[in-house]
Amino acid sequence: MNPAVSPPGIYAGIANGLAVLLLLTEFAMLRAALLRAQVRLYAAQSLLVSILAVVVAATRHLPELYVLAGLSLALKVIVVPWLVSRMLRRTTTEIAGSGALGVASEVLVAVAVAAFGFFATSRFHISSPALPTTALGLGVAVILVAFVLMVVRRDVVSQAIGFFSLENGVSLVSLVVAAGMPLILEVAFLFDLLVAVVVFGVLMQVHHARSESLSTTHLTRLRG
Amino acid sequence: MTVPIPVVQLLQVLTVLIAAPGVSGVIARVEARVQGRRGPRVLQPYYDLGKLFHKEALAPHGATWVFLAAPLGAMACYLTVPLLIPVLTTYPLPLGYLGDILGGGFVLGLASFVVAVAATETGSPYAQLGASRAKTFGAITEPVVLFVVFTVALITGTDLPYALAATVRSSAEQIVRPAHLLAAAALFLVILYETGRIPVETHTGTNEFGMIEEARPFEHSGPYFAMLRWGSAMKQLILFTILLNVFIAPWGLAATATIGAVGIAIGALLGKAVLLGVVIALIDNSFAKLRLFKITEFVAAAFLLAVLAVFTLYFGGG
Repeated sequence: MNPAVSPPGIYAGIANGLAVLLLLTEFAMLRAALLRAQVRLYAAQSLLVSILAVVVAATRHLPELYVLAGLSLALKVIVVPWLVSRMLRRTTTEIAGSGALGVASEVLVAVAVAAFGFFATSRFHISSPALPTTALGLGVAVILVAFVLMVVRRDVVSQAIGFFSLENGVSLVSLVVAAGMPLILEVAFLFDLLVAVVVFGVLMQVHHARSESLSTTHLTRLRG
Repeated sequence: MTVPIPVVQLLQVLTVLIAAPGVSGVIARVEARVQGRRGPRVLQPYYDLGKLFHKEALAPHGATWVFLAAPLGAMACYLTVPLLIPVLTTYPLPLGYLGDILGGGFVLGLASFVVAVAATETGSPYAQLGASRAKTFGAITEPVVLFVVFTVALITGTDLPYALAATVRSSAEQIVRPAHLLAAAALFLVILYETGRIPVETHTGTNEFGMIEEARPFEHSGPYFAMLRWGSAMKQLILFTILLNVFIAPWGLAATATIGAVGIAIGALLGKAVLLGVVIALIDNSFAKLRLFKITEFVAAAFLLAVLAVFTLYFGGG
């Protein structure tokens, strides 16, 4: 028996590569030091989801995924980042050093959590006609690392972006397990995201107006 | 007309030995051009070596034979590694199975170790600082290299550099698989660290607190210093060769032992190394040096890439 792991084929290789890039942008958010960088990373990650949807649509002949890719491009790559940066236009503070741990330790913690995601999903033995199973593991890893991001970064913007990018992870997982999901459900998810943007937008603005900072450490004062 | 196989083997070593300062010279020239300076001649490193070989050799008071033996030991290590890796040929040469990727890594590690020991012999604070830093950060880049080796082992079922190069050449599937791309990227980051480039270290600085690799030969002089300089140029070309001929571009190597094929292979290797050098010079000019304590973040990024490569392989053939 040849112990080598055989290559997954060109289509699966490209799809997995895009999914890996998605996970890497999530890791990059852990260390982003500027507001603008954080928002750009989110836009880049959403763009990767759209590209992946187009790749799946083209090779697996699922035309409704084109609509989904277009919608997610318009909303998550253009509208949401634009809204967030518009709301933060007047802030003068930055988010550098808001992590509860050092960057290297954060990355190691996130690697451990992502490994858990991989192990857990590989036990499910889910196979999908649309995308290789590795992409499912990567999608779950994106979701878990988004949780780590929200836990370790103590600023409103990173937490909001962490929540939005969690939705990107969910999109990736849904591309794997339910690529033919009815379009109306996907659209409902996207509008859910818009509601979250509004809620987080209000939170960011009120918090910044009250405390002149984006750090959530000030919120401990609310304890009675 | 064919070249005898032992001669090809010798040519692998000679190519690295003779071309290494030239590659450094080209990189320095490109770097200067990008910064808007005229820059030194491409052949300047050879003139520097020639000058140093004519100078007198001095040793600090109290330094033992270890101090003077280190440059020779390091040079011997750098002359051994080109025997183990595919420098010119696609087929393994007789001594090619002397060691696998780990073996090559150990020999490179030994070279760095003897130079560090010589630096601690000197009693000079700068050289000792450089040696201690090089070993500290070397210890945290080691896991990255190990994970890259694991990736190679999972992809090919062996840990021979020739096997991976052959696998990469075999089909396009092998090139786009994420594990291969991630491992190559991780190795590239390790090479930036090992050759003392931005974002880890300023390559051309003379005397500053951020120095790591460059601070170690501070007390050596004359021919011994020349050998250390030559050795670090060879180390750079060896690492470039591993990245190019094993991971990202194993094309242009000689499949036979004819004079033409071997000549083309030498030219192709140097061309590829110069291209990679241009990329590295561009990186040098577009990023800022990291603070010393931020180097862990850089290594953590490389570690992440290498670990993800193993993960994707382990869970579903990435």
